[in-house]
Amino acid sequence: MTFELDPDLDLQIDRVMRAPRTRVWKAWTDPVDLARWWLPAPTHCRVDQLEVVPGGAFVTSMSDDGVAFGPHLDACFVVVEPGARIVFTNALDSRWRPVSPAPVAMTAEIRFLDHPDGTDYRVVVRHADPASRLHHEQLGFADGWGTVTAQLAAIAEAPNGGQ
Amino acid sequence: MAKYSSALDDVFAALADPTRRAVVGVLGRGPASVGELAQTASMTLPSFMKHVHTLERCGLIRTAKSGRVRTCTLNRKRLAVVDGWLAEQRALWERRTDRLEQFVTDPEEPS
Repeated sequence: MTFELDPDLDLQIDRVMRAPRTRVWKAWTDPVDLARWWLPAPTHCRVDQLEVVPGGAFVTSMSDDGVAFGPHLDACFVVVEPGARIVFTNALDSRWRPVSPAPVAMTAEIRFLDHPDGTDYRVVVRHADPASRLHHEQLGFADGWGTVTAQLAAIAEAPNGGQ
Repeated sequence: MAKYSSALDDVFAALADPTRRAVVGVLGRGPASVGELAQTASMTLPSFMKHVHTLERCGLIRTAKSGRVRTCTLNRKRLAVVDGWLAEQRALWERRTDRLEQFVTDPEEPS
């Protein structure tokens, strides 16, 4: 399945990596490998759960000192096509409980394709609208995240204070 | 990342209240005293002070006391935090992709 992207909410990254597809796949799915690159140094990453199957848990922790770890990601896999595709989301936690993670819920799709130079690595991350929290509370902003800032600015800058 | 999320949450929580949004609106015209702001909000000063503290804690406004008058000023830069989230997520994934690429192409790493 492929879905359209919403430029206001989604992001896409394509990168050709000079390494075989099997190598890139292993870097994603081997917990020891994943911990090496998942978080930026000097932050330490601990891979708590990595069940690379549909519905499997994907839980990582982070630490500044390598001793005291705090939560980083509590997510689950949605789609797993070995060697080819991973989809995971943090909108369901590792126990499939619907959650509203900060700053925004997302579903990430990672595709691993063959390329003459190695691997064509493609990321699509689809985000929930972080402003939906505002909408639900009937905050008086018009629809859509993009307009929120404009409206805030309008409120803040209107000569009569937007009253 | 965690720091950013928390900042975003605090700003949204602060703006999730009509009284506090009204304060942001009034301060858009220029600085105002807590007393003036409380009048427009038509609530008691102690109740209103809680809103002022919430706005100040998340950095949306600054306050300064001169004699018996506390003056509030809008911090416009703070409003910008709500606009940067997608760029922030993109930067996070770009850096993550950089690290993965470096990891899988590092000849020192056993594959």
